[in-house]
Amino acid sequence: MGCQHLEEIYELFLLGALSEQGAQELREHLARGCPHCRERIREAAETVYLLSLTSKPARPNPQVKTELLHGLHKK
Amino acid sequence: MSEALSAEDLLARIAQQDLAALGELYDRYAFRVFGLLMHILSSREEAEEILAQVFQRLWAESRILREEGGSVAAWLVVTARQAALDRLCVVRKGKLRPAARAEAAGGEKGTDTSSRDTKVSTSAPLAPRAASKTSGLRSGAGKPGPGGRAKLAALVGVPPAWLPRPGEIELIDDRLELLHKVINQLPMSQRQALELAIFAGLSETEIAAELGEPLGKTRTGLRAAVTFVKHRRRAILGKWAANI
Repeated sequence: MGCQHLEEIYELFLLGALSEQGAQELREHLARGCPHCRERIREAAETVYLLSLTSKPARPNPQVKTELLHGLHKK
Repeated sequence: MSEALSAEDLLARIAQQDLAALGELYDRYAFRVFGLLMHILSSREEAEEILAQVFQRLWAESRILREEGGSVAAWLVVTARQAALDRLCVVRKGKLRPAARAEAAGGEKGTDTSSRDTKVSTSAPLAPRAASKTSGLRSGAGKPGPGGRAKLAALVGVPPAWLPRPGEIELIDDRLELLHKVINQLPMSQRQALELAIFAGLSETEIAAELGEPLGKTRTGLRAAVTFVKHRRRAILGKWAANI
């Protein structure tokens, strides 16, 4: 299967915005190990990362870190 | 611990179970991850709970991430988004009619949220709360209407091998302003569609319904918006000199 028709959908695939049918087609294609699409998926992940950074940073309660580290220390 | 250590240096220490390194990485990225979680969930309690879970997961999976060479910053952001959207899915399921809930049960993917079901408030809204209020996109996109959605259409797990390499995104901290500039150049309807995809996890079909547009228009607009950002990605990241 050629990859040309997939060019527009890698980012939408990673965002989860594709229909199940479209996502399934890309999943199956990737599972066959297409090197072009593997590279494109990494580029798409870069774009998805950037898009996720458009939210405004916010500061969590300091207690979250304290409890996180304390909980892991006990394990 | 020295400030000069890179995130990947810290990851190497975390992979050796160095808690101080995890604490330092948390200090660097928690505010960014928490901002994303707040944007999606609009609940400090839920956002803080998931923030802790994301760092617990990093602690557990740090060796794999290190072996695969994916950026730890990208991993944190992508994993947090998925976990928050999974939580939204659980919240929505709690609000759905029994028939829709049965449909949803067949479609959920991603992190195991079953143990958290009982903690989710049944009064929670069905979509990212105040999607436009704290948005970097500032689209003013509306919230999904009553009834919500049955499932997150095709939420995709992102294996570490698919993540950007650390060097590919290292300059982003200094260039977020440029990212916002690019986003603000998008037409409003495309920004709204993009916001619903990123922060509400809606599918193209659901976004079209939410915006009251024909599916073809939404699909074309969403792809155009993603392509617009994608083509400016390297300029945003300082890899290409280009006027934006």
